[in-house]
Amino acid sequence: MLPINSKRREIKVRESILRGVYENNLKIIGKQSAESPWRIPLFLKKMFLFLSVGLLTILGQGSYLNLTLFPETQMTASIMPQKNHPMPDENSISSSDYKEFFSGYSVPLSRMFGLGVKTIMIDAGHGGDDPGTIGKMGTKEKEITLDIAKKLKERLKKHGGYNIIMTREDDITIPLNKRVESAQASKADIFISIHLNYLPSKPINIIETYYFGPSSDVKTLKLAQQENAGSQYGLSDFKDMIEKMGKTLKLQESKELASLIQKNLFINSRKKNGNIHNFGIKRAPFVVLLGVDVPAVLAEVSCLSNRQEEIELNTKSHRENIARYIEAGILDYLNKGEANYETKRNTE
Amino acid sequence: MKLKETQSEGNILFVGIDLGTSRSSISASNGTRQWIESYVGWPKDFISLQVVGKPVLFGSEALKHRLSLDLCRPLEHGVIKEGIERNEEAVKEIIKYLIELAKPAAGQKIYAVVGVPADTLKVNKLAIRRAVSEFAHSLMVVSEPFAVAYGLSLLNNSLVIDIGAGTTDLCIMHGAIPSDEDQKTIVNAGDYIDEQLYSYLTEKYPNSKFNKNMVRQFKEKYSFVRDVPGDIHVEIPVDGKPVMHDIKNEVKRACESILPALVETTAEMIARFDPEFQIKIKNNIVLAGGGSLIRGLREYLQDALKEYGPCNVTNVQDPLFAGSDGAVKLAQDMPAKYWEPLQ
Repeated sequence: MLPINSKRREIKVRESILRGVYENNLKIIGKQSAESPWRIPLFLKKMFLFLSVGLLTILGQGSYLNLTLFPETQMTASIMPQKNHPMPDENSISSSDYKEFFSGYSVPLSRMFGLGVKTIMIDAGHGGDDPGTIGKMGTKEKEITLDIAKKLKERLKKHGGYNIIMTREDDITIPLNKRVESAQASKADIFISIHLNYLPSKPINIIETYYFGPSSDVKTLKLAQQENAGSQYGLSDFKDMIEKMGKTLKLQESKELASLIQKNLFINSRKKNGNIHNFGIKRAPFVVLLGVDVPAVLAEVSCLSNRQEEIELNTKSHRENIARYIEAGILDYLNKGEANYETKRNTE
Repeated sequence: MKLKETQSEGNILFVGIDLGTSRSSISASNGTRQWIESYVGWPKDFISLQVVGKPVLFGSEALKHRLSLDLCRPLEHGVIKEGIERNEEAVKEIIKYLIELAKPAAGQKIYAVVGVPADTLKVNKLAIRRAVSEFAHSLMVVSEPFAVAYGLSLLNNSLVIDIGAGTTDLCIMHGAIPSDEDQKTIVNAGDYIDEQLYSYLTEKYPNSKFNKNMVRQFKEKYSFVRDVPGDIHVEIPVDGKPVMHDIKNEVKRACESILPALVETTAEMIARFDPEFQIKIKNNIVLAGGGSLIRGLREYLQDALKEYGPCNVTNVQDPLFAGSDGAVKLAQDMPAKYWEPLQ
């Protein structure tokens, strides 16, 4: 009996290991899928989607629980007073210690450490060979995002003191990794990627902002390796420490930035168009956010599948407005906690 | 097992590749086993192209012509050095060359499992996949010590210590695919010994002329810890004249320089496990990689760990191919349904 049992057990172990290898490798490709989704069969995509939804819900940071950041009544009654205090964002629904952790800081960590923002990088989504999504009337995402990005740049420039860089200023193809590289090369302090949504099956218009998911920690690992060269410690010790510190900072900052941009975009867009939906802020492993190791967000500022919205997006004034809302979000982020700015805002 | 048979009947060549810092090897399901030194060299200019007669050279041939080549050892320190395109290109060239060495039949599909140093796996997953995917129809990447463990059927309660050139990777197997927790990397390995030996010899014989490559050869020929019978003398030119040098003490010191970290990390990794499993693991420690060829290392480790209770350390039979043999075994065992999505 015994040898048969152990044999059977070994086969089982072997099977689970083989599956593990396969799943690990699938994960590696998972990163690639953003660039080439058509290479992965549908059922795997479904599985991936299901898993990530589950994960987001578990983390309590996904926004399926808070599709609207603000209760409907509050929104219509008064918008201005909302600005007095930080929005009752997802902190209110997240787990208790998480809340405790973040509410402990009334100002972002970066400011606490006296780290100023000098360089802002604006990434206009798609471009060149890659048109992004295309509306029913032929409006191309790449053109809209570029125009909004340019307008945003002009606006931010007026404030002086910031170095504003764009990943592309023309209709050219830039692969995602090049964008990440240029963000790193230019030492950007925050990174904002502008995109448009496309929901073919629903005639609604939504706004949502993403911030990066768990990062690939190439840099921390390299640093650890350098530091470690002469020591006798295992690499993973260093890696863990550095990772923990860096991740907290970036995660917190990205989330803050994302929620402020989302808030400004949504509140203001809603004034114009009552049918807009707030999909909140979400964590997602976008390649373009993943590689950048400063606060990075990806804003889906509008929805090109919505006919009315497509018409609007073709007007200069609407694009200017969107740029203004993003600008307001960024300014809120940059000046948060500064007394002067807060009072000025409130009296506006 | 039926799956495996149907796979083999198809026109598929399974290959296992061990992509090492110092040496890379390939084992294929058609029985081919080959290895090269992980050096890639491109001629520096037209003249050197004329001299070497090839657009790209590998292994010992590349080393021989190193003065006329841009020489690259792409996995130095166990990772593909980032941002240097040549390194990724070099990995590509090595893979391409190794697969050519495996002599696939025309039209045969190639399913590859590639074992890489544990750190490479953490850092350069995508780069490795990019480098290999051009030459294989489907591909999986695993960590080196894991491939060794799989090849030896050490799936449960065992510890594989793979002493390579760039890194020493430790991996505990407990019946599942090892997580990051189960793997640890020390940066003291073969290259570190070379550096130590080089500096000891420079110190002792300041007038003698030798280079890193010679020092590496001394190490590979004479390495030992504790003691071995006889003297170790090598010929090194002094002012152009070949002179015999006694290097025994220096070789010993250099080889022993990696021991403290090795023993400490090994003990620490075992200690993390449930006491019941600790005993099992300690009786199942396997040394792999070029470093396992250091004479006396196995005994030293076994004695050093005795302090923590009885233990048994063995060396893999064939350190050069242990990784690639394990990888090809993994490739052959892998059900077809897992290969397809990774194409």
